[in-house]
Amino acid sequence: MLKNYIKIAFKVLLRRKFFTFISLFGISFTLTVLMVVTAFFDHTFGPMAPETQYQRTLAVQFACMYGDDGMWTSSAGYKLLDRYARGLTGVDRLSIFASPETVSSYINGQKVSSSLKRTDGDFWNILQFTFLEGGPYSSQDVDQAQFVAVINDATRQRFFGTSPAVGKTIEADGQRFRVVGVVADVSVVRSIPFADVWVPLTTAKTDTYKRELMGSFNALALAHDEAALDHIHDEFNARLAHVEMDNPKVYKTMVAPFETTFDSYARHLPNADRKSPESQGWKMVSTLVVLALLFMLLPAINLMNLNVSRILERSSEIGVRKAFGASSRTLVGQFVVENILLTLIGGLIGLVLSEIALQVVNASNLIEYAHLHLNPRVFLYGLGMALIFGMLSGVYPAWRMSRLNPVEALKGATR
Amino acid sequence: MIRHWMRLIWNRKRANFLIMIEIFISFLVLEGVMLIAAQYAYNYRHPLGFSIENVWTITVDPKSHDDDASRTRDRETLRQLLRTLRDMPEVEAAAGTFTPPYGHSSWTSAVTTNGRWMDYSVNQVTDDFRDVFSVDLRRGRWFSREDDGATDQPLVINERFARAIFGDVDPIGRIIPQDPKPPSSDEPSGKATPMRVIGIVSEFRQHGEFSTLDNYAFRRNNLDDATSKMGMPNRVVIKVRPGTTAAFEEPMTHQLQAVAHDWSFEIKRVEDMRTDTLKEFLIPAIMLGTIACFLLLMVALGLTGVVWQNVTQRVREIGLRRAKGARIEDIHRQILGELAVMTSLALIIAVALVAQVPLLPLPAVFAMINGSAFAASIVISVLTIYGLTIGCGWYPARLATRIQPAEALHYE
Repeated sequence: MLKNYIKIAFKVLLRRKFFTFISLFGISFTLTVLMVVTAFFDHTFGPMAPETQYQRTLAVQFACMYGDDGMWTSSAGYKLLDRYARGLTGVDRLSIFASPETVSSYINGQKVSSSLKRTDGDFWNILQFTFLEGGPYSSQDVDQAQFVAVINDATRQRFFGTSPAVGKTIEADGQRFRVVGVVADVSVVRSIPFADVWVPLTTAKTDTYKRELMGSFNALALAHDEAALDHIHDEFNARLAHVEMDNPKVYKTMVAPFETTFDSYARHLPNADRKSPESQGWKMVSTLVVLALLFMLLPAINLMNLNVSRILERSSEIGVRKAFGASSRTLVGQFVVENILLTLIGGLIGLVLSEIALQVVNASNLIEYAHLHLNPRVFLYGLGMALIFGMLSGVYPAWRMSRLNPVEALKGATR
Repeated sequence: MIRHWMRLIWNRKRANFLIMIEIFISFLVLEGVMLIAAQYAYNYRHPLGFSIENVWTITVDPKSHDDDASRTRDRETLRQLLRTLRDMPEVEAAAGTFTPPYGHSSWTSAVTTNGRWMDYSVNQVTDDFRDVFSVDLRRGRWFSREDDGATDQPLVINERFARAIFGDVDPIGRIIPQDPKPPSSDEPSGKATPMRVIGIVSEFRQHGEFSTLDNYAFRRNNLDDATSKMGMPNRVVIKVRPGTTAAFEEPMTHQLQAVAHDWSFEIKRVEDMRTDTLKEFLIPAIMLGTIACFLLLMVALGLTGVVWQNVTQRVREIGLRRAKGARIEDIHRQILGELAVMTSLALIIAVALVAQVPLLPLPAVFAMINGSAFAASIVISVLTIYGLTIGCGWYPARLATRIQPAEALHYE
């Protein structure tokens, strides 16, 4: 049955090539845009090296304290994480690291700007970086405030050209570091691992950071197993209720949830409730779904219009099928299948186009160190969107077609 | 004749309704993009009020805990840094500030005057700021030693803000009238220092060419005043001599580091910051524009297909009209006329809807939209949509005129 539908659908597609072209143009363009956006989100939030243990990690990347009149949102301070986030049940390893800062170096009078991230030793145990040279610094190095650094491939290029970097020294922000390792570039949108240069956090110029509840620090926890994730979130939350606030008159409550990067980003949406320790991720998901559907609306109506105007082409076929007893439902099913087939073909074209678009984005250097590309996950999302689009644009014309009066349809006339 | 077209449209109402929805949504999409374009064009035509030629910014980070003792110490260190900079032969002027042009940061405040709430952008600067950015002072004077020990807070504001508060009255030397705050607020009971306008600048659009035109006020931050409780400006701006190259950055950083060991410095050319800012304004707009163009191209192709299909379906009707003596032009006009009527109906509803937007109590984003830019965007969008639909109908309508009455009448 399905085989017959597909056969007929192909015959119809080949009958009026100009119309097929118009339909495919709209479908593939729509799906291209959606797939490029999906690929971007996947690149930002999906599991990807060096976050290979993604399923077992949670991070604190957002902190907010509030009272009756004031609210202060930023990242957590070192003190908050060091004092309250350590020793949670179910956590195998915990890393505390700063958000990257931009630092300048001078090479033969030329300025080089880099993102510098100060981390502890466990950072390298939780995240699996690909080392091109040397290795990470250890927790002992951090405790002894050794001036050592891990740099990325791009930084090695800038400082040392093609020659190996381990053992050499780089100067950044007026400090000198001995390079101990070189890692592959990590995309700038991966907020947890990204930096150009990683150094021990104890090399900070002053130790005022150790006294701050709010600041520019993040914590990354590696759970024993996936089942422990909820517990970690809840236990840390419970501990935060007892935080000694610096200024309890103004700020009474602290919110700094252990959550995924996606959930942390969702807190910056205008409709997110920042004071809630619970996940705000579903708000981002629903916003994205609504936006995607809105974007599909115009292309869907365009396709509906085309399909409706082509009903008459099929009138004799419909008349015959109806006269031989096909129900309206069967016909609706057939036409929807036809339309979905059309959108899937458009989706395939869109897949090729979006890969091209992503390569253009990569080449344009719009996103530093990005390697955007399609992967099976994005492909599945694309397939899902093509199906939704096919249904959205196919059901109404199919319903209209199925309702043709068989007698009139056989005559080939209608309004 | 229009009534006749209306009847023909009504006869095929279901299909035509869908077409009108398509035109309606196309208009909304186009209008959205055109509004951004028109607003950008409007903003771009207005002067900035400053010059960034040979201006560099240095972000200074003392890495200290924010308390009164370290603030006083940091302010003193910054004063020494500024003196060190001024002593360098390459530096023409140096000043401290919080939100330099193209600096991504903004600082807003508001005054309530006679029940009217007015937002404005604030910047706190040291006295040399004017020399660094060649700020376009129109009336009154800039901050100077004259303001030392003043009981009122001296303020330099832009012309727009002055007009908003004082109307046609000369604002120089006047205190900004402020309504008393409601007693419920938790602020200390002592009254806020009155703000006195001492100078008027033409404009100061710190976010650059495409940013909205808003109210602006400079406050004075006097680093020489050791008792001041003001925060330390975290940006230093310098104007270097023409011809100074990036090579100067390194020795300059070393000298700064010698004065403040623990501090971090990040030097940027304002010219580069401008490029980044313009990109941030333009890249999303260009992306939206490209997507809208593709959407409209898709709609155009789709409409062409639909009209074409309609024409082939109405061969008998058209044939009959031709047999009854209708000329080629009549047929052509009829097809396009029907399309024009449908477009008009869709556009009337769409424009009526969009025209409500400024009347709605919407967030501040919409308050920035300029009336003439809004009107222009609607006119351009309406004309484009008419052009689009008529353009799409043109070729199919030509096809309709080729129908031979004799052939058409024994069609089938």
